[in-house]
Amino acid sequence: MKTYEIPNEIELANTLEQKLELLKNIGRSFSVFRIDCGSCNGCEIEIFAAITPLWDPERFGFKLVANPRHADILLCTGPVTRQMYYPLLRAYEATPDPKIVVALGACGVTGGIFYDAYSVLSGIDKIIPVDAYIPGCPPHPASIIYGLTTALGVMEQKLQKVSFEHDGDMPPLVEDSVMGNTLFERDLLVQAKRLMSYVFGRKLFDKYIHALVQSGNTKDPKATKVSITQAMQVEDDPRYAECMGILHNEIYTQYVLCEEEDKIDLHRVVWGAK
Amino acid sequence: MMKLLDISKKYGEITHKYPFEPYKVSDNFRGKPAYIFDLCIGCAACGIACPSNAITVQFNDDKSKLIWEFDCGRCIFCGRCDEVCPTGAIKLSEEFELAVKFDKSALIQRGELDTQYCTTCHKPFSAKRLVKYSFECLSKANVSEKRLEEAKNYLCMCPTCKKTATVATFTGGKEMVIE
Repeated sequence: MKTYEIPNEIELANTLEQKLELLKNIGRSFSVFRIDCGSCNGCEIEIFAAITPLWDPERFGFKLVANPRHADILLCTGPVTRQMYYPLLRAYEATPDPKIVVALGACGVTGGIFYDAYSVLSGIDKIIPVDAYIPGCPPHPASIIYGLTTALGVMEQKLQKVSFEHDGDMPPLVEDSVMGNTLFERDLLVQAKRLMSYVFGRKLFDKYIHALVQSGNTKDPKATKVSITQAMQVEDDPRYAECMGILHNEIYTQYVLCEEEDKIDLHRVVWGAK
Repeated sequence: MMKLLDISKKYGEITHKYPFEPYKVSDNFRGKPAYIFDLCIGCAACGIACPSNAITVQFNDDKSKLIWEFDCGRCIFCGRCDEVCPTGAIKLSEEFELAVKFDKSALIQRGELDTQYCTTCHKPFSAKRLVKYSFECLSKANVSEKRLEEAKNYLCMCPTCKKTATVATFTGGKEMVIE
Protein backbone atom coordinates (compact mmCIF):
# COMPACT_ATOMS: atom_id res chain seq x y z
CA MET A 1 0.00 0.00 0.00
CA LYS A 2 1.47 3.30 -1.08
CA THR A 3 0.11 6.04 1.12
CA TYR A 4 2.26 9.03 0.27
CA GLU A 5 3.41 10.29 -3.11
CA ILE A 6 6.74 12.04 -2.73
CA PRO A 7 6.56 15.44 -4.44
CA ASN A 8 8.66 15.64 -7.57
CA GLU A 9 10.98 18.39 -6.40
CA ILE A 10 11.83 16.46 -3.20
CA GLU A 11 12.50 13.29 -5.19
CA LEU A 12 14.77 15.13 -7.64
CA ALA A 13 16.70 16.77 -4.82
CA ASN A 14 17.25 13.48 -2.98
CA THR A 15 19.08 11.25 -5.43
CA LEU A 16 21.97 9.10 -4.27
CA GLU A 17 24.52 11.34 -6.04
CA GLN A 18 23.28 14.38 -4.21
CA LYS A 19 23.44 12.57 -0.87
CA LEU A 20 27.00 11.44 -1.53
CA GLU A 21 27.87 14.98 -2.58
CA LEU A 22 26.50 16.24 0.73
CA LEU A 23 28.47 13.68 2.71
CA LYS A 24 31.69 14.59 0.89
CA ASN A 25 31.46 18.37 1.12
CA ILE A 26 29.55 18.93 4.30
CA GLY A 27 32.39 20.66 6.18
CA ARG A 28 30.41 20.81 9.45
CA SER A 29 28.64 18.58 11.96
CA PHE A 30 25.71 16.39 11.00
CA SER A 31 22.56 17.51 12.69
CA VAL A 32 20.25 14.72 13.69
CA PHE A 33 16.55 15.27 14.25
CA ARG A 34 14.88 12.52 16.21
CA ILE A 35 11.24 11.89 15.40
CA ASP A 36 9.15 9.55 17.50
CA CYS A 37 6.40 7.97 15.38
CA GLY A 38 4.58 6.16 18.16
CA SER A 39 7.53 4.38 19.67
CA CYS A 40 7.38 2.84 23.15
CA ASN A 41 10.26 5.12 24.26
CA GLY A 42 12.73 2.23 24.52
CA CYS A 43 14.53 3.46 21.41
CA GLU A 44 14.51 7.05 22.72
CA ILE A 45 16.16 5.91 25.95
CA GLU A 46 18.87 4.19 23.94
CA ILE A 47 19.36 7.23 21.69
CA PHE A 48 19.91 9.37 24.78
CA ALA A 49 22.23 6.70 26.17
CA ALA A 50 24.14 6.89 22.89
CA ILE A 51 24.63 10.68 23.07
CA THR A 52 26.10 10.61 26.59
CA PRO A 53 29.87 11.10 27.07
CA LEU A 54 30.19 7.32 27.42
CA TRP A 55 29.65 6.93 23.67
CA ASP A 56 30.05 10.54 22.54
CA PRO A 57 28.85 10.57 18.93
CA GLU A 58 30.04 14.16 18.61
CA ARG A 59 33.42 12.58 17.86
CA PHE A 60 31.96 11.92 14.40
CA GLY A 61 29.97 15.15 14.38
CA PHE A 62 26.50 13.93 15.26
CA LYS A 63 24.53 16.56 17.04
CA LEU A 64 20.90 16.32 18.08
CA VAL A 65 18.85 19.35 17.05
CA ALA A 66 15.32 20.34 18.06
CA ASN A 67 14.01 21.38 14.66
CA PRO A 68 13.74 19.45 11.38
CA ARG A 69 14.66 22.61 9.48
CA HIS A 70 18.17 22.37 10.95
CA ALA A 71 18.60 18.66 10.35
CA ASP A 72 20.53 16.58 7.85
CA ILE A 73 19.58 13.21 9.27
CA LEU A 74 16.09 12.15 10.33
CA LEU A 75 16.21 9.42 12.97
CA CYS A 76 12.76 7.81 12.96
CA THR A 77 11.59 5.39 15.62
CA GLY A 78 8.28 3.61 16.13
CA PRO A 79 5.84 1.75 13.89
CA VAL A 80 4.16 4.96 12.57
CA THR A 81 0.80 5.17 14.23
CA ARG A 82 -2.05 6.86 12.41
CA GLN A 83 -1.71 9.89 14.70
CA MET A 84 1.97 10.35 13.83
CA TYR A 85 1.57 9.91 10.06
CA TYR A 86 1.08 13.60 9.21
CA PRO A 87 3.65 14.91 11.73
CA LEU A 88 6.19 12.52 10.13
CA LEU A 89 5.38 13.87 6.67
CA ARG A 90 5.61 17.45 7.89
CA ALA A 91 9.03 16.78 9.43
CA TYR A 92 10.16 15.01 6.26
CA GLU A 93 9.09 17.87 4.01
CA ALA A 94 10.54 20.49 6.35
CA THR A 95 14.00 18.90 6.36
CA PRO A 96 16.30 20.60 3.85
CA ASP A 97 17.33 18.51 0.82
CA PRO A 98 19.19 16.20 0.51
CA LYS A 99 18.02 14.44 3.66
CA ILE A 100 19.12 11.11 5.07
CA VAL A 101 16.42 9.02 6.71
CA VAL A 102 17.41 6.37 9.25
CA ALA A 103 14.84 3.89 10.61
CA LEU A 104 15.71 2.86 14.14
CA GLY A 105 14.52 -0.14 16.10
CA ALA A 106 12.49 -3.19 15.11
CA CYS A 107 9.35 -1.03 14.87
CA GLY A 108 10.93 1.53 12.61
CA VAL A 109 12.42 -1.09 10.30
CA THR A 110 9.41 -3.38 9.76
CA GLY A 111 6.82 -2.60 12.40
CA GLY A 112 8.35 -5.04 14.88
CA ILE A 113 5.90 -6.68 17.21
CA PHE A 114 3.13 -4.30 16.07
CA TYR A 115 3.55 -5.16 12.38
CA ASP A 116 -0.06 -6.35 11.92
CA ALA A 117 -1.81 -4.06 14.39
CA TYR A 118 -4.77 -2.11 13.03
CA SER A 119 -3.57 1.32 14.05
CA VAL A 120 -0.05 1.33 12.61
CA LEU A 121 1.41 1.59 9.12
CA SER A 122 4.28 -0.74 10.20
CA GLY A 123 7.60 0.69 9.21
CA ILE A 124 9.03 4.02 8.11
CA ASP A 125 9.86 2.66 4.65
CA LYS A 126 6.17 2.18 3.86
CA ILE A 127 5.81 5.95 3.82
CA ILE A 128 9.11 7.64 3.02
CA PRO A 129 12.31 6.32 1.41
CA VAL A 130 14.77 5.08 4.05
CA ASP A 131 18.55 5.05 3.62
CA ALA A 132 19.70 2.99 6.60
CA TYR A 133 18.01 0.49 8.88
CA ILE A 134 19.13 -0.17 12.46
CA PRO A 135 17.30 -3.22 13.87
CA GLY A 136 17.20 -4.01 17.56
CA CYS A 137 14.54 -3.86 20.23
CA PRO A 138 15.89 -1.46 21.36
CA PRO A 139 19.29 -1.22 19.62
CA HIS A 140 22.35 -1.11 21.84
CA PRO A 141 24.04 2.34 21.90
CA ALA A 142 26.95 0.72 20.06
CA SER A 143 24.49 -0.47 17.38
CA ILE A 144 23.18 3.08 17.00
CA ILE A 145 26.72 4.46 16.63
CA TYR A 146 27.50 1.69 14.15
CA GLY A 147 24.31 2.36 12.20
CA LEU A 148 24.90 6.10 11.95
CA THR A 149 28.53 5.65 10.92
CA THR A 150 27.44 3.02 8.36
CA ALA A 151 24.89 5.46 6.97
CA LEU A 152 27.67 7.99 6.46
CA GLY A 153 29.97 5.42 4.88
CA VAL A 154 32.58 5.48 7.65
CA MET A 155 32.08 1.77 8.37
CA GLU A 156 31.16 -1.12 6.13
CA GLN A 157 27.91 -3.04 6.29
CA LYS A 158 28.48 -6.48 7.82
CA LEU A 159 25.22 -8.33 7.19
CA GLN A 160 24.34 -9.94 3.89
CA LYS A 161 21.35 -12.01 2.93
CA VAL A 162 22.00 -15.64 3.86
CA SER A 163 20.18 -18.42 2.06
CA PHE A 164 20.76 -22.15 2.36
CA GLU A 165 19.18 -23.97 -0.55
CA HIS A 166 20.69 -27.43 -0.56
CA ASP A 167 19.33 -29.78 2.01
CA GLY A 168 22.28 -32.04 2.70
CA ASP A 169 22.66 -34.85 5.19
CA MET A 170 22.33 -33.71 8.73
CA PRO A 171 24.79 -34.87 11.37
CA PRO A 172 23.56 -37.32 14.03
CA LEU A 173 21.93 -35.00 16.52
CA VAL A 174 21.08 -37.29 19.41
CA GLU A 175 24.01 -38.08 21.65
CA ASP A 176 24.30 -41.40 23.41
CA SER A 177 22.81 -41.30 26.85
CA VAL A 178 25.00 -41.68 29.93
CA MET A 179 22.30 -43.93 31.38
CA GLY A 180 21.45 -45.88 28.23
CA ASN A 181 18.12 -44.11 27.94
CA THR A 182 17.73 -40.68 26.33
CA LEU A 183 14.49 -40.12 28.19
CA PHE A 184 16.63 -39.51 31.28
CA GLU A 185 18.45 -36.65 29.53
CA ARG A 186 15.16 -35.30 28.22
CA ASP A 187 13.53 -35.19 31.67
CA LEU A 188 16.70 -33.81 33.21
CA LEU A 189 16.91 -30.95 30.71
CA VAL A 190 13.23 -30.09 31.12
CA GLN A 191 13.56 -29.97 34.89
CA ALA A 192 16.84 -28.01 34.70
CA LYS A 193 15.20 -25.42 32.44
CA ARG A 194 12.22 -25.25 34.77
CA LEU A 195 14.49 -24.61 37.74
CA MET A 196 16.96 -22.15 36.26
CA SER A 197 15.59 -20.89 32.90
CA TYR A 198 17.04 -21.87 29.56
CA VAL A 199 20.46 -20.20 29.62
CA PHE A 200 21.48 -21.26 33.12
CA GLY A 201 19.43 -24.45 32.94
CA ARG A 202 21.66 -25.70 30.13
CA LYS A 203 24.74 -24.90 32.21
CA LEU A 204 23.21 -26.73 35.16
CA PHE A 205 22.45 -29.71 32.93
CA ASP A 206 26.08 -29.85 31.75
CA LYS A 207 27.38 -29.57 35.31
CA TYR A 208 25.09 -32.33 36.52
CA ILE A 209 25.94 -34.73 33.68
CA HIS A 210 29.65 -34.05 34.21
CA ALA A 211 29.35 -34.86 37.91
CA LEU A 212 27.32 -37.98 37.10
CA VAL A 213 29.95 -39.30 34.68
CA GLN A 214 32.70 -38.59 37.23
CA SER A 215 31.17 -41.20 39.56
CA GLY A 216 32.35 -44.04 37.30
CA ASN A 217 29.17 -46.09 37.39
CA THR A 218 26.12 -43.94 36.64
CA LYS A 219 23.71 -46.69 37.69
CA ASP A 220 25.10 -47.06 41.19
CA PRO A 221 23.08 -44.76 43.51
CA LYS A 222 25.75 -44.84 46.24
CA ALA A 223 28.60 -43.77 43.94
CA THR A 224 26.55 -41.07 42.22
CA LYS A 225 25.41 -39.62 45.54
CA VAL A 226 29.03 -39.20 46.63
CA SER A 227 30.02 -37.72 43.28
CA ILE A 228 27.11 -35.24 43.11
CA THR A 229 27.64 -34.16 46.74
CA GLN A 230 31.31 -33.50 45.98
CA ALA A 231 30.34 -31.44 42.93
CA MET A 232 27.90 -29.47 45.09
CA GLN A 233 30.60 -28.77 47.65
CA VAL A 234 33.10 -27.40 45.13
CA GLU A 235 30.46 -25.39 43.23
CA ASP A 236 30.93 -21.64 43.79
CA ASP A 237 27.38 -20.62 42.99
CA PRO A 238 24.96 -21.94 45.66
CA ARG A 239 22.05 -21.82 43.16
CA TYR A 240 23.69 -24.37 40.90
CA ALA A 241 24.64 -26.50 43.90
CA GLU A 242 21.15 -26.67 45.31
CA CYS A 243 19.56 -27.27 41.91
CA MET A 244 21.95 -30.16 41.26
CA GLY A 245 20.69 -31.74 44.47
CA ILE A 246 17.07 -31.18 43.43
CA LEU A 247 17.73 -32.72 40.01
CA HIS A 248 19.32 -35.76 41.64
CA ASN A 249 16.43 -36.26 44.05
CA GLU A 250 13.68 -35.69 41.52
CA ILE A 251 14.91 -37.13 38.22
CA TYR A 252 17.70 -39.58 38.95
CA THR A 253 15.60 -41.49 41.49
CA GLN A 254 12.97 -42.12 38.81
CA TYR A 255 15.41 -43.93 36.55
CA VAL A 256 17.51 -45.86 39.08
CA LEU A 257 16.08 -47.82 41.96
CA CYS A 258 16.94 -45.71 45.01
CA GLU A 259 16.20 -45.92 48.69
CA GLU A 260 15.43 -42.96 50.89
CA GLU A 261 19.03 -42.65 52.13
CA ASP A 262 20.33 -42.35 48.54
CA LYS A 263 18.68 -38.96 48.23
CA ILE A 264 20.77 -35.88 48.91
CA ASP A 265 19.80 -33.76 51.88
CA LEU A 266 19.30 -30.24 50.53
CA HIS A 267 19.94 -28.48 53.81
CA ARG A 268 22.98 -26.23 53.32
CA VAL A 269 24.67 -27.33 56.54
CA VAL A 270 24.47 -31.01 55.60
CA TRP A 271 26.12 -30.82 52.20
CA GLY A 272 28.57 -28.24 53.50
CA ALA A 273 28.07 -25.10 51.44
CA LYS A 274 30.92 -22.65 51.39
CA MET B 1 37.22 25.16 36.67
CA MET B 2 40.34 23.67 38.25
CA LYS B 3 38.13 21.45 40.37
CA LEU B 4 36.51 20.10 37.19
CA LEU B 5 39.92 19.31 35.75
CA ASP B 6 40.82 17.47 38.95
CA ILE B 7 37.70 15.38 38.72
CA SER B 8 38.31 14.50 35.08
CA LYS B 9 41.92 13.61 35.90
CA LYS B 10 40.73 11.33 38.69
CA TYR B 11 38.30 9.37 36.52
CA GLY B 12 40.24 9.41 33.28
CA GLU B 13 38.74 8.95 29.86
CA ILE B 14 35.59 6.85 29.94
CA THR B 15 34.39 7.26 26.37
CA HIS B 16 34.33 3.93 24.55
CA LYS B 17 36.65 3.83 21.56
CA TYR B 18 33.96 1.81 19.85
CA PRO B 19 34.03 2.17 16.07
CA PHE B 20 37.82 2.22 16.06
CA GLU B 21 38.23 -0.61 18.55
CA PRO B 22 35.95 -3.65 18.93
CA TYR B 23 33.41 -3.37 21.70
CA LYS B 24 32.87 -6.31 24.03
CA VAL B 25 29.24 -6.69 25.02
CA SER B 26 28.36 -7.90 28.50
CA ASP B 27 27.70 -11.55 29.40
CA ASN B 28 24.42 -13.09 28.23
CA PHE B 29 23.87 -10.22 25.81
CA ARG B 30 21.04 -11.09 23.45
CA GLY B 31 22.30 -10.28 19.97
CA LYS B 32 21.31 -11.48 16.55
CA PRO B 33 20.00 -15.07 16.52
CA ALA B 34 22.56 -17.16 14.63
CA TYR B 35 21.10 -19.92 12.48
CA ILE B 36 22.99 -23.18 11.94
CA PHE B 37 21.35 -24.76 8.91
CA ASP B 38 22.93 -28.21 9.40
CA LEU B 39 21.22 -28.62 12.76
CA CYS B 40 17.78 -27.33 11.76
CA ILE B 41 15.13 -30.06 11.59
CA GLY B 42 12.23 -27.85 10.51
CA CYS B 43 10.05 -28.58 13.54
CA ALA B 44 8.68 -24.98 13.50
CA ALA B 45 8.88 -24.67 17.29
CA CYS B 46 10.71 -21.35 16.84
CA GLY B 47 8.06 -20.09 14.44
CA ILE B 48 5.33 -20.81 16.97
CA ALA B 49 7.27 -19.34 19.89
CA CYS B 50 8.29 -16.13 18.06
CA PRO B 51 6.03 -13.35 19.44
CA SER B 52 6.62 -10.96 16.53
CA ASN B 53 6.51 -13.60 13.76
CA ALA B 54 10.04 -12.75 12.70
CA ILE B 55 10.56 -16.48 12.10
CA THR B 56 8.20 -18.07 9.62
CA VAL B 57 8.18 -21.71 8.58
CA GLN B 58 6.13 -22.28 5.43
CA PHE B 59 5.95 -24.51 2.38
CA ASN B 60 6.94 -22.89 -0.89
CA ASP B 61 4.43 -22.57 -3.72
CA ASP B 62 4.78 -26.06 -5.20
CA LYS B 63 5.26 -27.54 -1.70
CA SER B 64 8.55 -29.17 -2.63
CA LYS B 65 10.50 -27.35 0.08
CA LEU B 66 9.84 -26.22 3.62
CA ILE B 67 11.17 -22.67 3.94
CA TRP B 68 12.51 -21.43 7.23
CA GLU B 69 12.86 -17.67 7.12
CA PHE B 70 14.08 -15.20 9.69
CA ASP B 71 13.69 -11.46 9.29
CA CYS B 72 16.12 -9.71 11.64
CA GLY B 73 14.31 -6.40 11.14
CA ARG B 74 11.27 -7.69 12.95
CA CYS B 75 13.13 -9.63 15.65
CA ILE B 76 12.73 -8.28 19.18
CA PHE B 77 15.61 -10.38 20.60
CA CYS B 78 13.52 -12.09 23.27
CA GLY B 79 15.40 -15.39 22.91
CA ARG B 80 12.34 -17.62 22.86
CA CYS B 81 13.50 -19.39 19.68
CA ASP B 82 16.74 -20.24 21.47
CA GLU B 83 14.72 -21.50 24.42
CA VAL B 84 12.52 -23.88 22.44
CA CYS B 85 14.94 -25.15 19.78
CA PRO B 86 15.46 -28.87 20.48
CA THR B 87 18.72 -29.16 18.54
CA GLY B 88 20.37 -25.80 19.21
CA ALA B 89 20.10 -24.74 15.56
CA ILE B 90 19.23 -21.19 16.56
CA LYS B 91 21.23 -19.49 19.26
CA LEU B 92 21.46 -15.84 20.21
CA SER B 93 24.93 -14.60 19.33
CA GLU B 94 26.78 -11.55 20.57
CA GLU B 95 26.52 -9.80 17.22
CA PHE B 96 25.13 -6.28 17.58
CA GLU B 97 26.34 -4.59 14.39
CA LEU B 98 23.20 -5.15 12.39
CA ALA B 99 22.63 -1.92 10.49
CA VAL B 100 22.09 -2.19 6.72
CA LYS B 101 21.92 0.40 3.97
CA PHE B 102 19.13 0.83 1.38
CA ASP B 103 18.21 -2.85 1.00
CA LYS B 104 16.28 -4.42 3.84
CA SER B 105 16.57 -7.94 2.40
CA ALA B 106 20.14 -8.13 3.76
CA LEU B 107 18.52 -8.73 7.15
CA ILE B 108 16.93 -11.99 6.02
CA GLN B 109 18.25 -15.48 6.73
CA ARG B 110 16.55 -18.44 5.14
CA GLY B 111 16.94 -22.17 4.75
CA GLU B 112 15.17 -24.62 2.47
CA LEU B 113 14.45 -28.11 3.79
CA ASP B 114 13.23 -31.11 1.78
CA THR B 115 9.62 -32.05 2.45
CA GLN B 116 8.38 -35.41 3.60
CA TYR B 117 5.39 -36.79 1.71
CA CYS B 118 2.80 -38.91 3.46
CA THR B 119 3.15 -42.58 2.55
CA THR B 120 -0.64 -43.01 2.34
CA CYS B 121 -2.09 -39.87 0.76
CA HIS B 122 1.17 -38.51 -0.79
CA LYS B 123 0.59 -35.02 0.52
CA PRO B 124 3.49 -33.00 1.96
CA PHE B 125 3.24 -32.53 5.70
CA SER B 126 6.65 -32.04 7.31
CA ALA B 127 10.40 -31.85 6.75
CA LYS B 128 12.38 -35.03 6.03
CA ARG B 129 14.85 -34.10 8.72
CA LEU B 130 12.14 -33.96 11.39
CA VAL B 131 11.07 -37.53 10.63
CA LYS B 132 14.69 -38.67 10.67
CA TYR B 133 15.33 -36.88 13.95
CA SER B 134 12.22 -38.32 15.60
CA PHE B 135 13.26 -41.83 14.63
CA GLU B 136 16.77 -41.21 15.90
CA CYS B 137 15.38 -40.06 19.25
CA LEU B 138 13.15 -43.10 19.55
CA SER B 139 15.89 -45.56 18.63
CA LYS B 140 18.03 -44.31 21.51
CA ALA B 141 15.19 -44.22 24.03
CA ASN B 142 15.25 -47.83 25.14
CA VAL B 143 12.11 -49.00 23.29
CA SER B 144 11.48 -52.48 21.91
CA GLU B 145 12.29 -53.55 18.33
CA LYS B 146 8.65 -54.12 17.53
CA ARG B 147 7.72 -50.63 18.65
CA LEU B 148 10.50 -49.16 16.50
CA GLU B 149 9.15 -51.01 13.45
CA GLU B 150 5.75 -49.53 14.13
CA ALA B 151 7.27 -46.08 14.58
CA LYS B 152 8.93 -46.33 11.15
CA ASN B 153 5.47 -46.62 9.59
CA TYR B 154 3.57 -44.00 11.50
CA LEU B 155 6.31 -41.34 11.49
CA CYS B 156 5.98 -41.05 7.71
CA MET B 157 2.22 -40.51 7.79
CA CYS B 158 0.47 -37.15 7.90
CA PRO B 159 -1.63 -36.45 11.03
CA THR B 160 -4.95 -37.13 9.25
CA CYS B 161 -3.81 -40.46 7.83
CA LYS B 162 -2.31 -41.39 11.20
CA LYS B 163 -5.65 -40.78 12.85
CA THR B 164 -7.49 -42.88 10.28
CA ALA B 165 -4.93 -45.66 10.56
CA THR B 166 -5.18 -45.72 14.36
CA VAL B 167 -8.96 -45.87 14.26
CA ALA B 168 -8.76 -48.66 11.66
CA THR B 169 -6.41 -50.72 13.87
CA PHE B 170 -8.60 -50.20 16.91
CA THR B 171 -11.85 -51.14 15.20
CA GLY B 172 -10.25 -53.92 13.17
CA GLY B 173 -9.12 -55.64 16.37
CA LYS B 174 -5.44 -55.68 15.37
CA GLU B 175 -2.81 -55.91 18.07
CA MET B 176 -0.85 -52.73 18.85
CA VAL B 177 2.39 -52.37 20.69
CA ILE B 178 1.68 -50.27 23.73
CA GLU B 179 4.40 -49.47 26.22
